[in-house]
Amino acid sequence: MRKKRIKLGPINGNSPDDRKQYDLTAALRILRHAGREDPQLYTNDSEKQIQNVIDALCDLSVHDGMTGLVNATFFHVVLAREIERSLRTGKTCGLMVLDIDYFKKINDTYGHTVGDRVIQSVAANIMQNLRSMDTTARIGGEEFAVILPECTPEDAIHAATRIHTALNPLLINIDGHDLRVTSSVGLVWTELSHSLSSGALLSEADREMYRAKHSGRARLCHPPLESTMITQQERSSLMALLNEENTHGK
Amino acid sequence: MASDKKARRIAVISGKGGVGKTVITANLASALASSGQRVLVLDADLGLANLDIILGLDPKRTIQDIFQGNCRPDDALIKTAKGFDLLPAGSGLQENTVLSKNLAEKMEALLSDLEERYDIILFDAGAGVGEVVLFFAALAHRILVVVTPEPTSLMDAYASIKVLKQLYKRNEFLLVVNQANPKHPDQIGTSVTKHLQSVISKFVDVGTSPPVFLQLIGSLPQDPAIPRSVRNRQLLSETQPPAASVCFVNTMAECLRRTMI
Repeated sequence: MRKKRIKLGPINGNSPDDRKQYDLTAALRILRHAGREDPQLYTNDSEKQIQNVIDALCDLSVHDGMTGLVNATFFHVVLAREIERSLRTGKTCGLMVLDIDYFKKINDTYGHTVGDRVIQSVAANIMQNLRSMDTTARIGGEEFAVILPECTPEDAIHAATRIHTALNPLLINIDGHDLRVTSSVGLVWTELSHSLSSGALLSEADREMYRAKHSGRARLCHPPLESTMITQQERSSLMALLNEENTHGK
Repeated sequence: MASDKKARRIAVISGKGGVGKTVITANLASALASSGQRVLVLDADLGLANLDIILGLDPKRTIQDIFQGNCRPDDALIKTAKGFDLLPAGSGLQENTVLSKNLAEKMEALLSDLEERYDIILFDAGAGVGEVVLFFAALAHRILVVVTPEPTSLMDAYASIKVLKQLYKRNEFLLVVNQANPKHPDQIGTSVTKHLQSVISKFVDVGTSPPVFLQLIGSLPQDPAIPRSVRNRQLLSETQPPAASVCFVNTMAECLRRTMI
């Protein structure tokens, strides 16, 4: 099958300047197609204009067009960087995965336009409940991920609880339809004792999210928190004191 | 009389169920009301509420009706004959076992509507460390933990304190020791508090500051009048013959009132 070629701007010669003009025209066309052709891109300073276009292309390549959140490709870059930083600094990093419940039913019942608006509302609500240093991405159709850097597991649970509470339920009125949307949330955090790849950490977060789905949806699931778990030592200490009291006949 | 002072909120929790939390809440509320405090008891066990049963009431409206817009707070509020007000909750409502934005916001709005009318609001929370229990504990100024000298109760109380310290940075807890040996209930109360405190200091306080502080506000001895009062849906002060444990409840209420000043 013959590939469809994008018609690019006119090339009048093969000089480096012609080449630069060719690239710039192509880049501007991509930005125009993506709805990102901003009048501020154009200046009389050609070097500045090229820089503006490069910045706009970079921005386009890392963001999701529908929600403005980071896209799945760049999410993996940020997650890998944060996992590395977590190991270097000794500060744990949280990862949250969030999936809109019964999204297919919303799409099938109300159509894709309403479905898209639901995705945008959920994205906006996540953003409202984050710290400036957190990164939110749309990593699938109705699936989001949030990276919580420099976050203790306890702080990550607080952050995830805040978002989970804000989203469950989310009441949205779209074109006269009152929708009650819920989301299931899975949360994990990096372990300082052993390193996990970004893919492996994401799988763990996914597993927690599916646990939330299977336990009734609209829930937040995370691994047991080490700091709140009762160790065998604690159990024995408490019981030893009770036994001591009983032995002394009190 | 109108007052600009807002009520102090106390969450009554236990970790383990069946340790007498609801009985103690109801009797404490009555004793506090007798001492001139304006008291509201909110049944915070939103999924399995039963304060109304203990009090011999049959509420027509509940907190759920307020939240669903079926009635105003004053329509659900019951002025009990025991001197305090009660906001009952429904039972068997599984949806209220999960904390939602809706539930949290409506509860906070309800409390801010009511808190100027009372000196003390007691939350009778459910058992365990579920998200609804933790939500009420986080909303409260003080957390009162009810324990019995049984190993299971102590372990669950310890776990609840640990979760609240690690997740919510709460470090002050009031303690009531229920079902204490009637021969020396105060000694049992002191001993249980000392033991819990020592294990907490050894394991929970490590590397965190400030340390957890447990304050015993009283013990309630085993008393056959207590189960009898529950069966008869009465408070201890209403039983005939008068229950010996009433004076322990009054002492507890006085201690609690002083801690709230």
